Amino acid sequence: MTVAPQLAEPVLDELRGVLGGEHVLTGKAARFNRARVPAPFPVHRWAERVPDLVVLPGSTEEVSEVVRIANAHRIPIVPRDGGTGLTDGAVPLRRGIVVDVKRMNGIVEIDEVNRTCTVGAGISMLKLNEVLAPYGLIYPDDPASYPCSLVGGRIGTSGWSLIGSRYGHSRDLVLSFDFVLPSGKVIHIGDGAGRKLSKSSSGYQLKHLFMGHQGTLGIATQATLKLFPKPEAELSPFFAFSDYDSAYRTVGELARAGVATFAGAVLFDEWKVDYLRRDDEAYIPQPADVRALVCAVAYGYEDEVTAGGRRFMRIAKENGARYLGDEVSEGDWAARHDRYATPLHGRTRAGQVVPMSWHCEDAAVNYSELPQVRLEWHEIVRRLRERFDMFDDWGMFTYTSANTGVDYLTEIDVGIWEQQLDDEAWAAWVQAKRDIAEVSLRYGGSISACHGSCREGEVDLVPQELGGGYDVMLAVKRAIDPNNIMNPGKYGLDRAYDTDDDTDGGTGP
Amino acid sequence: MTETPAEHETEAPPASGGQGGTEEFVQHWRNAAYNCFSSGHKFCREVCPVMQVTRNESWTPTAFHANVVAMEKGELEIADIAEDYVNCTGCGACELRCPNTLFTGDFYRFRTRTVDLVKAVRALAVDNGVHQQGWQRWNLLTDERTHEPVLGDVPVSQEHVRDWSDGLNLPVGGETVLFVDCEAAFYRTSVPRAVAQLLQRADYEFGLMNEQWCCGGPAAEMGYTEQAKRFARHNLDDWRAAGVRRVLVLDPHDYITFTEDYPAYFGDEYDIEIVLVVELLAEMIRDGRLTPSVPVDRTVTYHDPCRLNKRKGIWKEPREVLSAIPGLVFHDVDRVTQWSYCSGGGGGLPVEKPELTARISESRVEKAAGLGVDTLVSACPWSERPLSEAGDARQIDVVDIHELLAESLGIEVGGSRGR
Ligand SMILES: Cc1cc2nc3c(=O)[nH]c(=O)nc-3n(C[C@H](O)[C@H](O)[C@H](O)COP(=O)(O)OP(=O)(O)OC[C@H]3O[C@@H](n4cnc5c(N)ncnc54)[C@H](O)[C@@H]3O)c2cc1C
Ligand code: SF4
Ligand code: SF4
Repeated sequence: MTVAPQLAEPVLDELRGVLGGEHVLTGKAARFNRARVPAPFPVHRWAERVPDLVVLPGSTEEVSEVVRIANAHRIPIVPRDGGTGLTDGAVPLRRGIVVDVKRMNGIVEIDEVNRTCTVGAGISMLKLNEVLAPYGLIYPDDPASYPCSLVGGRIGTSGWSLIGSRYGHSRDLVLSFDFVLPSGKVIHIGDGAGRKLSKSSSGYQLKHLFMGHQGTLGIATQATLKLFPKPEAELSPFFAFSDYDSAYRTVGELARAGVATFAGAVLFDEWKVDYLRRDDEAYIPQPADVRALVCAVAYGYEDEVTAGGRRFMRIAKENGARYLGDEVSEGDWAARHDRYATPLHGRTRAGQVVPMSWHCEDAAVNYSELPQVRLEWHEIVRRLRERFDMFDDWGMFTYTSANTGVDYLTEIDVGIWEQQLDDEAWAAWVQAKRDIAEVSLRYGGSISACHGSCREGEVDLVPQELGGGYDVMLAVKRAIDPNNIMNPGKYGLDRAYDTDDDTDGGTGP
Repeated sequence: MTETPAEHETEAPPASGGQGGTEEFVQHWRNAAYNCFSSGHKFCREVCPVMQVTRNESWTPTAFHANVVAMEKGELEIADIAEDYVNCTGCGACELRCPNTLFTGDFYRFRTRTVDLVKAVRALAVDNGVHQQGWQRWNLLTDERTHEPVLGDVPVSQEHVRDWSDGLNLPVGGETVLFVDCEAAFYRTSVPRAVAQLLQRADYEFGLMNEQWCCGGPAAEMGYTEQAKRFARHNLDDWRAAGVRRVLVLDPHDYITFTEDYPAYFGDEYDIEIVLVVELLAEMIRDGRLTPSVPVDRTVTYHDPCRLNKRKGIWKEPREVLSAIPGLVFHDVDRVTQWSYCSGGGGGLPVEKPELTARISESRVEKAAGLGVDTLVSACPWSERPLSEAGDARQIDVVDIHELLAESLGIEVGGSRGR
């Protein structure tokens, strides 16, 4: 296993030679700030994950040089982009060098004929869409972190988009990318030889392998993305229900209706509605008998959206929905990116307002299993909250993932009074995460639909989820990164280097 | 559910500085900082003008708050972080974009206040003898001259503070005085000349200040709190001695200083009415006291000064003024989109990092160019120097809104546009 050596002056000099002194950051504050992600962690242990060094490369060549130097000196490397990942992927566990790619945010090409654009990994979807707007185009990767996550991180996590039921998710929208392997070698990943193909059968399909690996296989530097016409109309009706079951039924029917403009639907359960109600000013007040909400979303041309919308209304009405009106619907959908991490909604058992950090578990679960998973998850958090007053159940969202309604991203949001977390409460929380993951697997789901599953707790169950596939994962890691420099410690991949453990791609015992 | 008040709820912290030791500072700011730390999502990041050009995460609002948490944990000291806090123009975009301001902050009486925090950290640094060279020198010179050391061959001193008004026959004193910021008084003198003549045209009675010193705002922004307060004291005393009841300001920075800093310094003792000239002019146009009639043949867009649109919510009146000018073709941008625009000229940034100011201005002018305009109109003298420099490279003229209005009233403004 690699251990970070002291980053000695000669190494620093080499890096400065490549990047210029300005882009090699050794200061304490710069390093502390590159150890921060939104996912809660006991603040008293912040110093455990601080990198030795931060570099801000400006090009693929520079990234390649940095990686080559690190590999030669066996120094751990952690790619970091927006730093919004929720499974600690961008947190250095073995110190070493954080390669922060945010400076690589240029737009290299907008190809209107083939409807693609090529961009640096450090660009945000928000900024990209500002530039695309005058072309009448849009890059529809729309996570709730749309204003803050960046294209490289979307590749690193293989993220999920709120409107993915219509446009697909990051993996579908990213056509190809330049990728720096742990040796420093630059390769191109994507379907076929060109940069702009959406489908090829030539060779192994490597794109999926190099997306969602949480920076354990290398660094994406420049990506070619699929573009769509900027939708002329957007419809986002919010429906209120007096019980969860009707809301659940409605979401299922909406997703199965096969309306082409259907971009997604979200179901808020009663805990979530309660959580949002904690803030009168921000949330449009609703009668007390509202226990669950559904928002359906459609994008397209005006006439298609209107027609599809009528069908949504009918389906919802038949299931006992109350339409909340255009103002609420448009307002709340417009706020879709901002509702997540509202720390002041945190409450102790006594109802005291305390600023809590947001933790989100995001399993992929089949539609049929959602109700039972929901109950078991809430129960896990209830038991935890009983023992420790620094946790709070912020409710659950369920989102469609595909246009047929086969599986759903289901998340439970837990408020954690991070500053009060001690080692004991942290250990109990890690166990709760393990339990939550176990429920997902028991019901045939996956531990994570978008964030990845490499945090303490959930990560323990990854070999169970993947079975023989996990052995392949170990073999791939060892083959591509023989010195274990890329984001070491993540996904339990250190065991790929245990000499006693003969992981050999699944043909072993 | 029953809700008890937030346990972290505090009195509004002082606008800047004077917190004494680091310990006291951290106690004061920890909850506010932790509120951001626990959100940690960085929705604010892409609207920050400094971040847009540097892409350096150390200089984001989140980092500014997280550092305080790290100080509380004993991981960082003021000397470790002071330099990072140079990288903020005080534009306020991050606050607007922050969900803790947008949605919940007012409800819990706990908005995210990054601008004040940045000022406070800068003050803490100065209190602890950690100086930024450029700022230290700037404030020393300001102290010597009682005005900012505006660049160029301009003589900056008390004798020259009214030079801009040569030939306009303005009285000194009276119930209403016009306060002219240092940049406009010594460098871009066409702006106050335009303002004065517009007011004269409308028969609005006003005079000049007796002994005007720098408002002290820049010193406060750079952390030199003692000096800022001393200057403020001087100005207030001068107003009181002359029986001034009302102060007109044309500069958005002064407007912030007089409406936020001074009340914080003086409390109830401060009973001066502050009037922003652009708002006054919009009112005069509405009332028919000013009717622009000379066509101005330009295609323009408007640069919302940060301290008006973002920090004070003033965006309608300048647009009213522009729409009253005949001949103008106006390509507006959504004012919300403009939350992420800045000239880079504020918060002392041009003093320490002129190259950064220049890059921010270039990016602002580039956005204007995208609209196919020939002129960028601003309402902030401090933005006009860097914007003009960036505009030159793209053949975009940068014009002050007051000057433009004067032109459409057939007024020969005179004075210098800083060239
Ligand atoms: C408020 C909020 C809402 C969210 N909502 C969603 C949502 O709806 N859908 C969703 O999918 N996610 C969501 N997330 C999680 C997060 O935004 C995503 O995981 C996102 O893809 C991370 O992108 P980033 O740029 O912040 O990456 P980072 O956090 O910087 O990195 C994420 C991972 O990718 C790796 N990585 C970074 N850059 C590269 C690169 N260039 N090449 C290879 N690996 C790299 C890192 O090492 C790390 O393991 C949300 C987060 C927040 C804070
Ligand atoms: S300033 Fe606001 S938007 Fe930015 S990270 Fe902090 S809480 Fe989030
Ligand atoms: S006030 Fe403006 S410059 Fe300062 S951190 Fe906020 S957005 Fe950036």
